[in-house]
Amino acid sequence: MIQDYIVLTGINVLLAWSVYVVLLSGSLSFANAGFMAIGAYLSSVLTVRFGFPLIAAACTAGLVAFAFGVTVAFPALRTRGLYLILVTVGIAASVKVVIESIPYVGGIQGFSGMSGTTPWHVGVLVLVVGAGLWLLSRSSLQLVLDAVREDELVAGSLGVNVMHVKLVCFGAGAFLAAVAGSFYAHHMLFIRPEDFGIVASVFIVLYVVLGGVNNLWGPLTGAVIMTLAPEAIRGLAQWRPTVFGLLIIVLLLVRPDGLLAFRVPTAAARGSRAAKS
Amino acid sequence: MLVEQILNGIVLGSLYALIAQGYTLVFGVLDKLNFAHGEVFMLGGYIAVASAALGLPLPLALVLAMAVCAVVGILVELVSFRKFHSHDAHITAALSSFAVGLVMIDLVQKGWGTEPIAIAVPEGLNLVNLEVLGVRFSAVKLAILIVATSLMLGLHLTIARTALGRAVRAVSESPSAASLYGINVVRTIQIVFGLASAMAGIAGAALALRTGFASPDIGFTLGLKALAIMAIGGMGDLRGAFLGGLLIGVFEALAFHWGLGQIADTGVWLIMIAVLLLRPRGLFATVASREVRA
Repeated sequence: MIQDYIVLTGINVLLAWSVYVVLLSGSLSFANAGFMAIGAYLSSVLTVRFGFPLIAAACTAGLVAFAFGVTVAFPALRTRGLYLILVTVGIAASVKVVIESIPYVGGIQGFSGMSGTTPWHVGVLVLVVGAGLWLLSRSSLQLVLDAVREDELVAGSLGVNVMHVKLVCFGAGAFLAAVAGSFYAHHMLFIRPEDFGIVASVFIVLYVVLGGVNNLWGPLTGAVIMTLAPEAIRGLAQWRPTVFGLLIIVLLLVRPDGLLAFRVPTAAARGSRAAKS
Repeated sequence: MLVEQILNGIVLGSLYALIAQGYTLVFGVLDKLNFAHGEVFMLGGYIAVASAALGLPLPLALVLAMAVCAVVGILVELVSFRKFHSHDAHITAALSSFAVGLVMIDLVQKGWGTEPIAIAVPEGLNLVNLEVLGVRFSAVKLAILIVATSLMLGLHLTIARTALGRAVRAVSESPSAASLYGINVVRTIQIVFGLASAMAGIAGAALALRTGFASPDIGFTLGLKALAIMAIGGMGDLRGAFLGGLLIGVFEALAFHWGLGQIADTGVWLIMIAVLLLRPRGLFATVASREVRA
């Protein structure tokens, strides 16, 4: 039981970070459940049908998802804001339907036969990715990302290749989501296309938004709370989704910026934001 | 056969259009996505189920579906949109409305179970058939087509011709300027949510009557498809949503006719992505409407 919680919490933290990485460059992606699906299915096929070891399969799946993510992002990132949200929702929906129509991976029935995820895999992965993100936030690359997120025109005029930055972030998010999806599949032992629908995508984004988008601890906190909170309110098991939904609504009303929004916007930032809108 | 399929597509498409226009109204006025809209549509179907179980006459059931859904829509606005006014908050509002949708699905599943539930369709409703030029066409489909088209025409006239419509257009241009001219912005937004949700409600009830089922996950399948249709027709463009709905309805009917059912489901999203990339103002944007929206 405890191992279940550790693995699922870790996977959700990784997924939240996969959205956070994309968000660093200013794009919100609802496609990450789609990349997670690609990772889950590809790694499962590799381990079950071709006898790959789990870690090699996860890495391969991650790299393929990275390539796929960059390929779809290249046209998709021409759109912004709500339009980009719609495009990423479309990507996730399409990936799900395409998987459903491939009999080789079981179609709508799902795919099974994989196993082997241990809490160690997920724990080490969370530490490695977390350390990487922490180093990133200390490096000068973070300044580049901040510039791209806050004002693409200024960043571009300072010689930053905005499109490259956004593409790499989108691809990195796809990579992380696919790796998390690989370990998810090998933990759940059985996957269906249904598990990776729009709802899954929105939940991942909810982890990030609830936790706060300013630093890497926000998505982590959001994912941990959202994964473990349903267990804490188990007494209300009958009403779990309702209580959960209401909790999200209230939290968003009380703290629209998220739980861990350390960086209070300065007056100047507020001014520029007002000028933008 | 083919003609019959196309007609079926138009009937389904008119329902898509009804829902899509609800998304369009809210997006046009607030620049925000209402993710609870699909669940309001789902709720409409269940109100039809409940009214049929109570033995209410059909027109009353439809009115009831519209009324209840309008109230729910206004509540959604209060909970998920009222507080998130700033331009940056559109994602928060979208997520909050999504959470409202999750609660609605759970409550409906508590009331009627997780499986699709059959509706006690009034005796003989599906048996009345008309035959025009050798094509059979059930009375239900004709009624859906008439109700949907007249509702959308009414909405178009309301927005284009009435004082209320002027207020809605003013708020969509600039809420602060509209309020300086004495328009009650909050009330106008509430009315927009009420209208949009009433249309989704009657669409849900009509679909339940047509198929004989109400299903709790229809908001995620059909409802989200309508969201894609809104984008295909052009964000904030009511006529575009109408034409887009019909187009996708016929496209799906033809895809099913030629045995490409799976493709139809992705097709909608791929068309949406293509439209957003190539013609971001929508498939049917003319030069004139481009100027109006710009």
